[in-house]
Amino acid sequence: MKLFTACTLLAVFISLYGVRAAADESPGDAANGKRVFLADGCFYCHGTTGAGGGNAGPRLAPNPLPLAGVKAKLRTASGRMPVYSAAVLKDSEIADIVAYLQSIPKGKDAKDIPLLNH
Amino acid sequence: MSRRTKPAREGDQASLDRRGFLKAATLAGTGAVAPAVVSAEVAAAATPEKPPAQRHTVQIVSRESEQGTPHDDGTTQTNCGSDFMVDVMRGLGIEYVAAIPGNTFKGLHESVINYGMTTSPALELISCMHEEISVAISHGYAKIAGKPMACMMHSTVGLQHGAMAIYNAWADRVPVFAIVGAQLDASKRGNYVDWAHSVFDGPALVRDFTKWDDTPISLRHFAESATRAHKFSITPPYGPTVLAVDQELQEDTIKDGERPAIPREPRMAAPRGDDGAVNETARLLVAAANPVLVADRAARTPEGLRLMVELAEELQAPVIDIQGRMNFPWRHPLNQTRRQAQLVPDADVILGLELTDFFGVTGNRVEPRLKTGTKRISISAGDLFMKSNYQDFDRFTPVDIAIAADAETTLPALIEAIRKLITPKRRASLRLRGAKFAQDHQQTLEQSRAAAAVGWDLQPITTARLCAELYEQIRNEDWALCNGTVFQSSWPQQLWTANHHYQYIGDAGAYGLGYLPGASVGAALAHRKHGRLAVAIGGDGDLMFTPGALWTAAHHRIPLLYVVHNNRAYHQEVMYVQTMAAKRQRGITRAHIGNTITDPNVDFAKLAASMGVYSEGPITDPKDLGAALQRAVAVVKRGEPALVDVVSQGR
Repeated sequence: MKLFTACTLLAVFISLYGVRAAADESPGDAANGKRVFLADGCFYCHGTTGAGGGNAGPRLAPNPLPLAGVKAKLRTASGRMPVYSAAVLKDSEIADIVAYLQSIPKGKDAKDIPLLNH
Repeated sequence: MSRRTKPAREGDQASLDRRGFLKAATLAGTGAVAPAVVSAEVAAAATPEKPPAQRHTVQIVSRESEQGTPHDDGTTQTNCGSDFMVDVMRGLGIEYVAAIPGNTFKGLHESVINYGMTTSPALELISCMHEEISVAISHGYAKIAGKPMACMMHSTVGLQHGAMAIYNAWADRVPVFAIVGAQLDASKRGNYVDWAHSVFDGPALVRDFTKWDDTPISLRHFAESATRAHKFSITPPYGPTVLAVDQELQEDTIKDGERPAIPREPRMAAPRGDDGAVNETARLLVAAANPVLVADRAARTPEGLRLMVELAEELQAPVIDIQGRMNFPWRHPLNQTRRQAQLVPDADVILGLELTDFFGVTGNRVEPRLKTGTKRISISAGDLFMKSNYQDFDRFTPVDIAIAADAETTLPALIEAIRKLITPKRRASLRLRGAKFAQDHQQTLEQSRAAAAVGWDLQPITTARLCAELYEQIRNEDWALCNGTVFQSSWPQQLWTANHHYQYIGDAGAYGLGYLPGASVGAALAHRKHGRLAVAIGGDGDLMFTPGALWTAAHHRIPLLYVVHNNRAYHQEVMYVQTMAAKRQRGITRAHIGNTITDPNVDFAKLAASMGVYSEGPITDPKDLGAALQRAVAVVKRGEPALVDVVSQGR
């Protein structure tokens, strides 16, 4: 019974969170997102397609965080990552950046690259 | 301007000698004698033998003569003090002398080229374009050769140029045997230039970051001080030394019977850790559930690398390599460098080996990230010698045991003490620990490969792709990487296999830009006699500081593949300014100003070619990179330098 209750609660949570996440994922403008990503210098640390900048900045794409996660990172960043307030980067621009990151396809698998299999 | 440089071109029949050029320039410059638009060739042809007008002598010729004409007292010599100095340097095992000329050491310069280079054991003068390069060459050379080369610098201005590179060597614990000229006797200074190049206490400029200096006033004094300087420079902690050598001492004749004896340098023993402290360290390490070994400049020599492996394997303990040197094989199962963030907080004993930034390894600049009761132990020669003004000693760390000694020299005793304490039962449990680390290492390697695959075909080219393509071309050679890799996200350490001490030498020490071009040439010089394939990956900003090092490599046929990681920016600084601008809520769209190296883009291939270096680039398409590197490697294997300019991602 306890197990059933727990599973039910978890399912409800996932369902609600999923709805919330979906609501957050309002489609942005990927083209403008790319422009902002490059113009605002995100690429310096994260690479021009969010592939990551090694010890400078983590990989952002493919499979980026959902919009809410990206927004939280930007608004409350710590360490080397600059804080981007709404005065610097509007919510709509963040949505555009996420749209751009989501548009980046998954690249080759390491196993398919001979140079990475020595 | 182009018309002025034309006569200097090789094979130009109408070329002017220097006097003719000055004459023409003088005429052209006055306007009263000749039209201002007259060309140098026309002016010279019009007055082939006519001496310059007298009134111009003061204006131009006098300045030339004061700066450029040597003093000559009309006497000849059959010996000189600087020949003796050459013998002293040879006696110390010095093989190379890096220098850009300066008249305060012209006596020694002449001795090196006409005596040192023509008699056995022969010195070789490495001709440089900047004192910062001379010192950096010495810096890189010493890390491979294991001993210093000499570096001669002009008084005042020369040492000022070289000062930053000396600081790099100091912070990197590397020996440099520096000699600066000096004109101590004011009555011997010829003119205002000599006075501008005179200083009462020249080495004071770098005294805060050199181990020792002296200004000898006799040849006997020179011999003793040179031997002392050399000995100090290679006593751990290694470091640069400076001798200011008086012109008269170099140039004066040695009277019959007054040639001093050359002191013999002793066999030297580096300081080893106290037995009690070493035994206590062994006890803590053997008893620990999660010991972590952190090595920065621990392996000074190939033997140091071997001992590090022996220590880690004895304990089956993970090694975090801070990469100040080649401390641990990159693919050894106990190399857990990429897992520092997981291992350090869980450690119960941390042993720092020549670890300068102990605090940074164990904390986040605010507070330690250690669990309660974690024992911290350091073995460092840094505790034996420290100066106060420059703060490269890093933040104070309250360790439990501080062993003031050379780590490499202490390792045999520590390993022996550990071996005695490990019971068969304990050894069996340690093996299980080691097996787990081997799995973790393999998993980390797979993660690195997966990360390297991301953006594989991207333009600009990723640093992972750059490093993988380079490794493909050199992996079957006896290669040696001559640069630190922090700005390439340590991809070589993540992806390559390196087992030899000479395959990696760490970074600049003080992160003073302009280091790598000279240091990689110096390291390649040391590799040359072993036939190794020397390669370096260096930033565009760094290369713009000291590109003249490429000329030195071409001139001396020093084989080196220099790969430019061209991210067209002082990338680190872009990030800093971004952070500052975002914090002040002013947007970061202008953070590139003053930080990027664009408009125009620098063509490094042309820059290298202009100095006689084979070059390729700019390479923008990753598909072109492998072939370009392959061609460049072929050039280097023939014994010459080559450069490949790769337009790359930031890190």
